[in-house]
This record gives sequence, structure tokens and C-alpha cells, in this order.
Amino acid sequence: MSHLASIPQKLGIDAQFEARHGAQWLNVEGVGVRTLAETMNAIGARFITITAYELPADEGFRLEYHWDLDGTLLGFAFQVVDKKIDSIFDLCPGVDWIEREIYEEYVIEFVGRPYDPLLLLPGVTPGVNLRKDPNQLEAATEVAK
Amino acid sequence: MSYKIPMGPYHPGLEEPYKLDMICEGETVKDAELHIGFNFRNIEHLAETRNFIQVNALMERVCGICSFIHTLTLCQAMEPLAGVEAPPRAKYIRVIMAELERLHSHVLWAGIAAKLMGFKTMFMTCFELREQVMDILAAISGNRVNYSMNRVGGVNRDIEDPAAILKMVEALEKAMVKTVIPIFTGSSTALSRCNGVGVLSREKAIEMAVVGPIARASGLPQDIRKAAPYAAYAEMEFDVQVQTSGDVTARLLVRALEIMESCKILRQALEKLPPGEIDTGDDRKIRFSTGTSVSRVEAPRGEVIYSVSFKENQKNPARVHVRTPTYATMPAIRYMVQGARLADTPLIQASIDPCYSCTDR
Repeated sequence: MSHLASIPQKLGIDAQFEARHGAQWLNVEGVGVRTLAETMNAIGARFITITAYELPADEGFRLEYHWDLDGTLLGFAFQVVDKKIDSIFDLCPGVDWIEREIYEEYVIEFVGRPYDPLLLLPGVTPGVNLRKDPNQLEAATEVAK
Repeated sequence: MSYKIPMGPYHPGLEEPYKLDMICEGETVKDAELHIGFNFRNIEHLAETRNFIQVNALMERVCGICSFIHTLTLCQAMEPLAGVEAPPRAKYIRVIMAELERLHSHVLWAGIAAKLMGFKTMFMTCFELREQVMDILAAISGNRVNYSMNRVGGVNRDIEDPAAILKMVEALEKAMVKTVIPIFTGSSTALSRCNGVGVLSREKAIEMAVVGPIARASGLPQDIRKAAPYAAYAEMEFDVQVQTSGDVTARLLVRALEIMESCKILRQALEKLPPGEIDTGDDRKIRFSTGTSVSRVEAPRGEVIYSVSFKENQKNPARVHVRTPTYATMPAIRYMVQGARLADTPLIQASIDPCYSCTDR
């Protein structure tokens, strides 16, 4: 069994990877982000980045995590509830700056890690960097849905 | 007793805004803290306020060295959502431009590294060679920095005389073989400043998820051109250059050998350049479907990834996220300078070929 095919089994889910616009996406509903990071470490995948999407006001945020597995780009989406999600910094030190950046841009707290001073704009209130006007917010959030 | 030495935010060697606070004992660096954001431009937000043609021009300005790579990655991410694919000739032209940009970036870096080593004759030699590459880029695109070559569905300008460019590439390759590579790989001046300095172990490179020449200099054979070929790279024969010592010498060697690989790719692409169209037609007629698309490209400094979202029939992207290579590699500087002599730290920092403009975006 290939590494890719073995991932759902290792995560204990029935879903399968689906190729879509440049990445292999797996629905990881019910799986914690730390479990995912441990699995990625176990199979030797390389962390790439996290992309944050702002959903309509009452739905919070979605974070898309990307890893590389032997040239295959993997994508996993997580809903963020109450603006908090577990940090994977201790499992994957490469996430340090992107977790801090998302905290500064969207005030999403990555629980379980120490926070250094702000990364991008020291002295500025977190959450201002990607504040959008209502029209922009609508366009962004409809896609994110 | 330890003390802190701040380097930056106006870097003495690289003249760009970034700060490294080094905790030293005597002349030895024990630890370091990195600070970025001095040139933060919020380009990702700006991208949401512009249409896809304007976004192309905007993202070209993420970086002043690998500006072509940014629009290439962006266009490759947008094309599936627009339902278009670049024609074969456009894909070849993208490869040619990307490799010319890699040459210019690597030679620029070699010059700066030479300067930091106190090897100013070599600095002048490298910059003279770089001018030759810049001349080729200007001959193709009409521009020296922001080339405006990419568009959704192809490229804006054709290569009308591949033979002339091939001639220039051959002259450049000869100069590299005769001058630059022997000096960097054999000169005692270069090697005494670089051997065993600023080591990033393979294990640390994996842990920090570094990319590009930094990863390859630490023994990781990762290269998106080979692992996940885009444009016309699947049709090119080349080797991924890997070194295992993880020090400044290894980073220098990887880049020097990659210059030769780029020349090899350029020769193939120019000789096999297929006939045909260079774009898919009037891009004002392009309509995007709802969704998110991701694209990766091997920039001179390593993997760039763009994540782009559109809403049906909207011309402005709803979200553009870019992870640049320096953003992935720069945190590893902390581990490279641990245990190093203070005097070696400018060269160690320069050895990752950092792009602060990319990092701050």
C-alpha cells in the first residue's frame, strides 16, 4: 500500500483522497490536527504551509494545511471553532512563523504554544492586517464556504 | 557572561530590513532571535482588491529577483479555475524564463557571497556575468526586473530568435566553467571562509521543513521541477544537485552546480521550442469558477506555493496566499549560527540567499 493510500487508514477514517486543482484533498472531519501532524511525521511528509480563510461571521474560519509527500501536494481543511485550534509547533517546528502570522492576521489562537512578540507588525493590534471591507469580506467568505 | 549583539534591521551585508539578535559568549554565538516584518506590505490583502490581471502585476512585485516565478505560480494556480491551459510553446518559454531567472539569481548570490568573503574581484566578475543574463532577459521581455511575461493561459511575449539566446547561454556557460565555478570550488580564500561554517544538519533541515538549495545542501534531494514537474519540465533532462555537509560550502556548491544544470535545461528548451501559439486568446473573456487552486514552483531559493480562491464570475480573487521559500528557510538561520564565530554570521545569513521582500510580502 502506498503512503498516500495508507493515510486514511492511519487516521482511522473511511474517506479517500480526491485530486482537485493541484492538490490531493482528504476530508479529515473528526480528526484532530495534532493526530494529522503526527501521522504526517510518521510517513515522512514535509510541512509546507497553512492558508486561513475567513467564513461568514458566525461560522468562524477554515484553515487549510498542506504537506508534501514525495512530490504530491496534500491538503487538509479544518474548521476553527471559537477562534482556537491546537498548535502543532511542538510536532513540526516549521509551522512557527505561519501559526504566528495567522494569529496576527485573524486572531486565531494556536493553543499549546508559547507566543513570541508579533512577527509582522510589532506594536500593532492583532487582527488588523487582513481586515476587509464588507464587499471584500462577502466575496472571500462565499468562496470559503 | 553572555551579551546580545543586534544585527539589523539594516543588515550590514545584505542591505535589507531584517534583524538578528545574537546571544554571544566571547566571540561565539550561543543562540539567536530573528525579527522580520520591517517591510510588511500586506500584499495578500491588496490582491483581494484587484482583478486577476492587476493581481498578476501586483504579485510580480512580491520579489525583485524572482518576479517571473511569482507570476508563473500565480497563473498556474488561476488557470484551472479559468478552465484554460497554456499552449506547449508558452510552457517552454516559461521554462526558459524561469531558468534564466535562476541563473541571474544564483550569479547575483555568488557575487554577494564573494563580497562578504572579502573577495571583491570575484564580486565584480559575478556581476559582469549577471549583466549578460539580464541582457538576455531584457532582450526577451523588454524589462530587467518585472518582466510582465506571464498571463492566465500563456505568456505575453514570444522568443523569436532562440539561436541568438542559445549563443548567449553558451558564452555564459563557458565563463561559469572557466572562472566562477573553479574559484568557488577550489580557491583557498573561498573554502577557508565556508568549510564547516553554518552547518544545518539533515535532521534539522527535515525538522524545520526548509526548501530549495538549503535543503539540497543538507542532503535532501527535493526539487519541485523533478518531483512534481510543471510547465515543460517533464520533458527536460537534468540532475538535482545534492551535497551532504550542510555548511556554507555545500550551499555554494549546490548553487554553482545548479547554474550548470540551468544551462543544460536552457539548451534543451531552446532547441526543442515547439511552434504554435503562446496564449489562449483574449484574457478579458476569461471567467473563473468557484473554488480554490494551488500551484507550486521551484524558485531559485526553493519552493513557492500559491493558494488562490475565486468566486464564480468574479474577476477579483477572494483570497491569495503565498508561501515564499525564504519564509520557510529563514527560521533555520537560528540553528546555523549556533556555535559559529560572530564574524562568520553575515556570511552564514547570506548563505541561505534570503529575500526579505518575499518574506515580508
